[in-house]
Amino acid sequence: MPRVLLLLFAAAAGAGPLRYAEDRAPAVVNPLFATTMSEARIDELLFEGLFADDLELRSVGRLAERIELAPDLKSATVRLRRDVVWHDGEPFDSEDVVFSIEAYKDRSTASSEAGRVSWISRATAVDPHTVLLEFEEPEYAPQDKLHFKILPAHRFSSRSVKRADPFRTQPIGTGPFRLVSFNDDNTISLQRHDRHWSPAALPEVAMREVSDKNYQAKLLIYESLEALVRVLPRDLATLQNDRKVELYPYQTNSWWHFGFNQRNRTLADARVREAIALMIDVDELLAPIGTGDRVSGPFVPSSPFYNHDVAPLRHDPDRAAEILTEAGYSFVSGRWLGPDGKELKLRLVTLSNLETAQDVVINVQSQLMSRGITVEQTFLGIAEYRDKVWRNHEFDLLLSQWSFDRSEDIWEQFHSRGNFSGYADPAVDKLLDEARASTDPQQKKALLRQTHAEIAQDHPMVFLWTLDSYAALSTRVQKVVVHPFYFFTWASDWTLGQ
Amino acid sequence: MIPSLARAVAWKAGAFLATLLGATAFVLLLLVLAPGDPVDLLPNGAELRPQLEAEWGLDRPLPARYLHYVQRVATLDLGTSLAYRPGRAVVDVITSPALRSLGRVLAALALALTWGTALAWWTAERRTPLRPVVQALSIVPVFLMAHALVLGLNAATFAAIGTGWIDRPDWFALPDQPSALRTVLSIVILATASGALHETHAQLEEALVHIRRAPYIDAARARGAPVWRHVARNLVPPLAVTLAERAAFLAGSVVIVEKVLLLNGAGAVLWEAALLRDYDVALGIALYAAAFVGVIRLVADGIRVAVDPRLREAG
Repeated sequence: MPRVLLLLFAAAAGAGPLRYAEDRAPAVVNPLFATTMSEARIDELLFEGLFADDLELRSVGRLAERIELAPDLKSATVRLRRDVVWHDGEPFDSEDVVFSIEAYKDRSTASSEAGRVSWISRATAVDPHTVLLEFEEPEYAPQDKLHFKILPAHRFSSRSVKRADPFRTQPIGTGPFRLVSFNDDNTISLQRHDRHWSPAALPEVAMREVSDKNYQAKLLIYESLEALVRVLPRDLATLQNDRKVELYPYQTNSWWHFGFNQRNRTLADARVREAIALMIDVDELLAPIGTGDRVSGPFVPSSPFYNHDVAPLRHDPDRAAEILTEAGYSFVSGRWLGPDGKELKLRLVTLSNLETAQDVVINVQSQLMSRGITVEQTFLGIAEYRDKVWRNHEFDLLLSQWSFDRSEDIWEQFHSRGNFSGYADPAVDKLLDEARASTDPQQKKALLRQTHAEIAQDHPMVFLWTLDSYAALSTRVQKVVVHPFYFFTWASDWTLGQ
Repeated sequence: MIPSLARAVAWKAGAFLATLLGATAFVLLLLVLAPGDPVDLLPNGAELRPQLEAEWGLDRPLPARYLHYVQRVATLDLGTSLAYRPGRAVVDVITSPALRSLGRVLAALALALTWGTALAWWTAERRTPLRPVVQALSIVPVFLMAHALVLGLNAATFAAIGTGWIDRPDWFALPDQPSALRTVLSIVILATASGALHETHAQLEEALVHIRRAPYIDAARARGAPVWRHVARNLVPPLAVTLAERAAFLAGSVVIVEKVLLLNGAGAVLWEAALLRDYDVALGIALYAAAFVGVIRLVADGIRVAVDPRLREAG
């Protein structure tokens, strides 16, 4: 159906806003400072990049019409759309692109997203609709990295943008929706950007903060919401049986793990790490919290970088006992004692808001205790977690989940100069450096698959699973396709009936 | 008379100021002692730490930070939110929620005093099973009563809707919506739980017994004058004392009640600000709460002085 007819239909129906829930409302609506998924999701509705994913996750032009790569791959000319206007009616042009890249790069901006443009050495406005981008290294597919959001140059006096800039609650983008109000009760109301080059079918979107996740499914069932970004595993059956709700499975680039603190002398020994990994029955941990795929390394199985030749570690407590014995440990009165005679004890730390983590922690504690290892568990709030775990390394084992966007850059998690857990393997460092520098997609794929294999041998973590994720939407919402990371990338096509 | 009144006023003003300073210093100390700070919340916090610590004043010694805060507050500048609503003036962030919480606390105070007085009037000098009932009801901690009530009510209503017994009733707001029901629940919980009702009742009952046995009541009876006027007038000072004592308790309890009942108020904001280590927001709410308690105490003292001529004479 032509888009105009869809718009007319939606307007005639008076369907109201599409209301979706977040556990915590975005604090800052400015892509330069997006630090949470709720911020990334709302940015997806308000802002656009030069390129974005199509349904096959290939990069297609959004603000860019096309890109022409120089023969030496060291620069590219980006031709911009001419029919784009900002939410305040100002025309979009090449100065906005140049400004955005400079603002991301500016050290005094202190953008959490600076890494997204670090590969661009210079951006020049050739004319109002053409930008020349020069790269640090040759780039084979720069469009895959040109997804970062573009900001309006005319709303800032300097490229050094502050996190506290009033823009954070009065953002102006080119996206399919514009912000109408950022309310005191932590709700955010958006309206369709009618002058968008391809207007959305939905007239309004509303973000509602529902801090208690236990109630989000109830709100959907009782029609106080139209969309849940992620359904808790225990709510799946209820929602599946509700005729007014449709579940949409989607694959996220997220995987769970138990990370070892290798600054701890005991855990610096790879044999001890492997033994602990073999003692953990991962399938038994997964069963109560949902369904998903086991992972054997730092990528999800659907990733091009996942090495399918590396199998997930099998639960083998007998082998674990052999390895610990070889490492000088002895099993005395039901407890493992180290070569120094001290009992093998682990402090397990988890973020308190990691959903369903409590079940996993209690079960792993029980598993390891039954095998002779005492586990003391602690749940921490985010600031405390970052301070204790990231900064001061006060943990032995942590349960955590890493989520990645399409770049799946694991450098910070595994490079000896990047990770906080003390993991250092020169071979992995070399592979990661080469993969990061590589601009050839095939070469990068081969390097990262090799990295996967190397890391799996070192056991810096117990790689657990990637959970099956489900979004739940009211059946009134039609034409729904959700993006695995940003969720709303294709929300322009969604419609909402009565 | 005048010098002693001036001394009393100065003493009260000093106590009020000390309450403000003490509350803010205590909250700042707690937050600083807790691990983590707002820089830790940023994914690239380690890299940005020197820059942001200088920008946000976190690199100064604690006494200097507190002194700077006091100087700012003296010019009515409560600072800027760092993490909860970055860049927004703290006054704008906390004033509306604080007014909502104030409404709940004042209503709870009024309710506690009203039914404390009514119960005391009924039970004073009587053997009645009501007393242990009040005690038992009131012994439940605030957090437990709030959890039990909200979970029980929601479960019962969801079950009734699920089985088709009822449609969703108008009074039953879902958890993300403003709800008169949850507001009423919060007021009842604040006025009842953690010993609130029992203590109010016991204090007023004791005062009532004392007043009813007083010689001036016997004299009034002998004259055939209405006794209740004398009782009511003499009950005001103990009511004022109870009011002052309950205010501090309610200001603290409202944090828990708002969090459990998902009510938008200063308590809920303080909870988030503390989690996010947003110092100025947390200190701003502590300052408002201390000011509220201080003002209630001054009002209570004023009432007692106005009603009781002996206190006026004592200065």
